[in-house]
Amino acid sequence: MSNLDHGKFTRVTTLFHSLLGLDVFLLFFSGYAIMFNDELWWLMELMGGPNGVSAVHRITGVGLIALIVFWIVLQVISPTGRSNFGEIIPGKDDIDAFVQDVQFMLGRADERHPNARQFGGYKADEVPLLSYIGKGVVFIFSAELTLLAVSGLLIWSKTGVAALFQTKAAAAAFVTFHGLLGVIMLMGIMFHIFEHGFHPAFYPVETKAYIPRKLVPEYHADGEPETTGIERLTLSPSWGWASTLFGAATVVGIASVLMASILDEGYPVPRELTISGGPTNLLMTIGINVGILVLGVGLVLSMYGNVLRIRWERQLEQEGGSESGEVGAADD
Amino acid sequence: MSEQELPDTAGYERWHVAVSAVVGIVVALLSVWWAQGFNVFYESIYRVDPGAGAGNGIGADWAAGNSIPALDFLIALIHAADVIMGIFILVMVFLHWAAFRRLAGQMQQPGEDVTDAVAADGGEPAARKITGRDGGGDDE
Repeated sequence: MSNLDHGKFTRVTTLFHSLLGLDVFLLFFSGYAIMFNDELWWLMELMGGPNGVSAVHRITGVGLIALIVFWIVLQVISPTGRSNFGEIIPGKDDIDAFVQDVQFMLGRADERHPNARQFGGYKADEVPLLSYIGKGVVFIFSAELTLLAVSGLLIWSKTGVAALFQTKAAAAAFVTFHGLLGVIMLMGIMFHIFEHGFHPAFYPVETKAYIPRKLVPEYHADGEPETTGIERLTLSPSWGWASTLFGAATVVGIASVLMASILDEGYPVPRELTISGGPTNLLMTIGINVGILVLGVGLVLSMYGNVLRIRWERQLEQEGGSESGEVGAADD
Repeated sequence: MSEQELPDTAGYERWHVAVSAVVGIVVALLSVWWAQGFNVFYESIYRVDPGAGAGNGIGADWAAGNSIPALDFLIALIHAADVIMGIFILVMVFLHWAAFRRLAGQMQQPGEDVTDAVAADGGEPAARKITGRDGGGDDE
């Protein structure tokens, strides 16, 4: 058992996750400053107008392709990566975990299924590498990122798509497709931030994604533990209002970008031509900006996770003595 | 925390990481170089037609909107996917929100007078824990 809970990520994975997060956040900020320009005009101004935004989107787009290919190659050529393939296949346990989560929500189950458990506590041993949400994240985000990278490349030069589709309007429709595709990931990331920032045992950030598992002590007591041990942890005083506020912001953000994706679909030219600008109103403007705020909090939490890693490494160095040099070894 | 308590974990070899990074960067640059090659039709497509008449004016092709059925279908499909996934994700948010509230209810409340509590990540330690080993992460 371990009160730090088990680490899941290797050092390479923590770095990859942070870089991918930063890259995707910048892609969201620049891409949706264009697609939801009626509501996020300030974001475009902030990034230097249309030219600045396309530059940011293209540079981070190249970064995304590099990161995706890096990860695929690493998973294929390394034994560690190959051995993980079996761990990401969804199974019956994952469906059970979802059902038990619903029961847990309704008060009909006493604890969450191991495949749903973020806080393993004493029972960390029975928690798989990925929860059912984690597996969903891997599959959905992989499909999304691949499709987004391919369609993004196709519209890299709009004249290219125009050449493929013959009319500018059709080319714009392809751009719309690219933007609508990203909405799923945009909503998914908002949930991801809430899920890993506001678990009461880990609030304000789940360090498993930032502190390499090599640096997380595992200690297993003899005998079978009866509970996860969460009842021995003290809740943070600010968790109540912070989780309520952020939970509400997450819901508002997701609902708003979902509505906007339906109503504001065709920037710059919709499927059916509308003469005025996109339909927008104050409520949607506020809602979408709340969504962007949620992403902003995610970015800050990601940085905070890395600060915690650095602090933890320092603490280990101070306590570890002469062998502490291993802490920074790159072999994981 | 002594080194002995840290686990032995399987990780990635340095050269695996290096090779993957090089391949990633090369593929990214090549794909962008490939995308730049699309520019060949620039002239023929954006050329302003001076003989503006019926259907010949500047931007005349915009008035029709998108008239390619395959793209129309793709957009309709992705709208449906957005809505289905959006609702699913909202369900997941509420599910986790509720689960978190239950879990929070199982934890020691802040200020509660207990002797064996450990602080959660953002919390204040109500009291120091029994063994130094388990409580090592209090301020993390």
